[in-house]
Amino acid sequence: MKHSEFISRFLIVAGILLAVGAPLFLWARTPLIHARMAEDGGWNPDVIQAEVGKPLHLKITSDDVVHGFAVGQMEMQSVDILPGKVTDITLSFDKPGIYTFFCTRWCGLNHWRMRGTIEVGGSPSDPEPATVPLYVSLDLDLDAPHDAPLIPPTQPSAINGQPLTATNSITLSREDYLTHSPYDVFAELKNTSLTEEQRWDVVAYLWQSNTTSESLTNGKELYAQNCAACHGENGAGDGVFADDLATAGESSMQTMEGAMDMVMQAPVDFTDPRRMLGASPALLQGKILRGGMGTGMPMWGSIFTEDQIWDLIAYIYSFQFEYLR
Amino acid sequence: MNRIELTRIPFIKNALNSRYPQLAVFIVMLVGYIFAILAGLIGTPVGSHNFSIVFVWIAWWAILILVAVPFFGRGWCAVCPIPLPGEWLQRGAVLSPPEKRPKWLNLRVPKMFRNIWLQNISFLLLALFSSVLLTTPNITGIVLAAMLFAAIGLSTVFERRAFCRYLCPVGGFIGLYSQTAPIELRIKDKQVCVTCEGKPCYNGSSAGYGCPWDVFPGGLTKNTYCGLCMECIRTCPHDNIAVNLRPFSADLAKPSTRMDEAFKAFIMLGSAMIYAGVLLGPWGIFKDAAYNVGSSAWFVYAVAFLAIIFVVLPGSFTLGILNTRNTIPLKQRFASLSSALIPLGLMFWVAFSLSFVLTNASYILAALSDPLGLGWNLFGTANATWQPMLTSILAPAQTLALVGGLIWSARAAQKAANEVKVSPIPVIVYCFIATSLMLWLLL
Amino acid sequence: MRFRISLLLFVMAGLVVAFAPLPVPAITPQERTFEINAHQFAYSPSEIKVNAGDTVTIRLVSTDVVHGLYVDDYDISVEADPGQSATLTFIADKPGSFRFRCNITCGAMHPFMTGKLTVGTNNWLYRSIALASIAVIAFFPLSSFKVQGKTKEMLRRL
Repeated sequence: MKHSEFISRFLIVAGILLAVGAPLFLWARTPLIHARMAEDGGWNPDVIQAEVGKPLHLKITSDDVVHGFAVGQMEMQSVDILPGKVTDITLSFDKPGIYTFFCTRWCGLNHWRMRGTIEVGGSPSDPEPATVPLYVSLDLDLDAPHDAPLIPPTQPSAINGQPLTATNSITLSREDYLTHSPYDVFAELKNTSLTEEQRWDVVAYLWQSNTTSESLTNGKELYAQNCAACHGENGAGDGVFADDLATAGESSMQTMEGAMDMVMQAPVDFTDPRRMLGASPALLQGKILRGGMGTGMPMWGSIFTEDQIWDLIAYIYSFQFEYLR
Repeated sequence: MNRIELTRIPFIKNALNSRYPQLAVFIVMLVGYIFAILAGLIGTPVGSHNFSIVFVWIAWWAILILVAVPFFGRGWCAVCPIPLPGEWLQRGAVLSPPEKRPKWLNLRVPKMFRNIWLQNISFLLLALFSSVLLTTPNITGIVLAAMLFAAIGLSTVFERRAFCRYLCPVGGFIGLYSQTAPIELRIKDKQVCVTCEGKPCYNGSSAGYGCPWDVFPGGLTKNTYCGLCMECIRTCPHDNIAVNLRPFSADLAKPSTRMDEAFKAFIMLGSAMIYAGVLLGPWGIFKDAAYNVGSSAWFVYAVAFLAIIFVVLPGSFTLGILNTRNTIPLKQRFASLSSALIPLGLMFWVAFSLSFVLTNASYILAALSDPLGLGWNLFGTANATWQPMLTSILAPAQTLALVGGLIWSARAAQKAANEVKVSPIPVIVYCFIATSLMLWLLL
Repeated sequence: MRFRISLLLFVMAGLVVAFAPLPVPAITPQERTFEINAHQFAYSPSEIKVNAGDTVTIRLVSTDVVHGLYVDDYDISVEADPGQSATLTFIADKPGSFRFRCNITCGAMHPFMTGKLTVGTNNWLYRSIALASIAVIAFFPLSSFKVQGKTKEMLRRL
């Protein structure tokens, strides 16, 4: 055939091979983690291997909506994973173990189920003794009802409680704070000369004095990012997913995976004094760590550090009490 | 005749006669097309960041409907890559005809398919699934690949460009709309063709191939079926074929009376209005229905879609033109008068497309640098943010397009009405109502 | 000659319809608040109406994934995660009809997630329809003219 024909054919074939071959080659060599809504598969892959001391480079992209990435128990600044874009993250681990990574931007009803694990191997150091959570050492039944027998007629105020606490020299140790409910402390104050209303105000102040404003701010942020979608932006159990959770909805993967007999419940209303004032911080910590056992309440044990949980709990109580600025 | 012959200009004449410039464009288009298929199949599922969605449904569509069709008629067909692999196989060469031609079946397309009904159907099929098609890279990749393989397959069985002429969903409407374009390919002197032996423009010769569009250039009076492939210019031994600049919508002076073309006009008019309402309107329930293919809501949507296009629009049109007592049969009047909807439909599509193109054109920059969503940054624009463009001129531009289209279609209605000896008023009123509806949907 | 005069008159009528300032009713600007829920792929309410000059506050509540709300022409936006509503406050100083749309990729039909904000009356729509009417009305007398010479040539080109 003529030279021109040959060259033309060559250019066509070469062009096509290049346009197909080069991208295919690069694509095959790019290990991407795909993030999808939990209903569509969640993280893929969802188990990553790593080594102690070796930096772990991850490339993550979202296949549908805005997601986020963070590793639990590391108080890591979360990174956004945007649809169609690739986020590069480098992690390093000091200790071997199994770490949980999770999605940090709400991506649907089952957002909290979007978790994976990083298995970090390496020279095993002496295993750290696990600290037993308070609710275990106190032998608390997390699922038993804990309604306060008596509730205040108006919202207790730490502003009023502060002078009362000072003049009456009332103190509440950290340990007592953690292991007693506000009602318990209220009941113990009956030996003072305070009225019921004043006693509640004292309880409010004692509760605030067992946390710091920094913790409250931190707790507020954690609440907004992790809890408000179900429990409501103002704690009333009326978050945007509350209705879906109350009915055993198809959208909940709990029912999707066949556990039809699991009882779905509406998220707890933190503004309900009967329920909240009868709960100790240790009880709340237990519920947060363990999760809701078949309700839509996630288990946060592998995600939040202990400090984060106490901050969160301190903030949750602030729905019940009026705190000092 | 008020024509300016462009092929008299040596630069243009040489560019069209030579096979090399066209081949260069072909290679770019074919490689781009195949890359789009690849991107659709292996790239990110997020449409706005995938080359296939951005470059097919935003970039290519914008150029097609805003530039190529209004100003060049079937100009896109001249550079489209879909028929190429099949045609090269059929011809046995990429450039000039080889000495030994390959033996393919070269069957003639059966008579019952030699119309644009198949193209009407293929367009409607895409239209009913458009919400999924326009937003899902996988689906776009598969559809592009299917068209390519269909074209190759048809070329091995049938003669010429069977896919392009009888199946391509795009070709159906750009053929219809090319009647309004200001360029045309026509013979210069009819007498020359009368005395021409062998008619190589249609039958081929050693200089070139016979018309792949199954058109006899000597008999071309309208743009509708000529794909501007320029093959006949190379083949004609008498240099009797020219590309002319001409007034807009010259072909509508003598409107066609074919039913398949008439219904195509309604299909395009109706789908532009439905898209404007469903995709650009604030009614989420319609979008859900359009997107959830297979659900009962989608079935209702599909039935409504087809009812509007095949019953409501042509039905009301027919009622409007019924009133004219006339010896010319209703069918002929219907088909002839519906040609007024051709410029109207084109401007409806221009107005509709302007909206989503200007809103989303900024995705083109990011998709250029990171076509597969793998984190590349080929040209440094991967992080270009989404930003609607020229939004302040959008409404005036749409008004101009739609009112301009109305005036244009009134003129076309008048010419068509003259041909069938009726009053153009019902058609003009129909166009006015449709235009008002479209204005309300878009503004 | 008569043709050209008629054409000129109609064109001027068109320009008046398109550009003549309409009297603006003196309505005292108010403060308005809207709570708009966003879900895949629609807003509810999807159409809101205010008067020109109002101070508009939109509280965006995302009910499934992260959504945004961007107002065409005003070029302002806000984004909200489920559980973290966000507000956008602006003065509706530009009258007319504006689409608001999601500007955070939220799934397949994201590019078509739209709503409509109307500030005052949608004058441009009425002007456009009036223009279309003038075009149709003008068409009949203009096309019935027996046109001579240069104008005929010009018309044939159309």
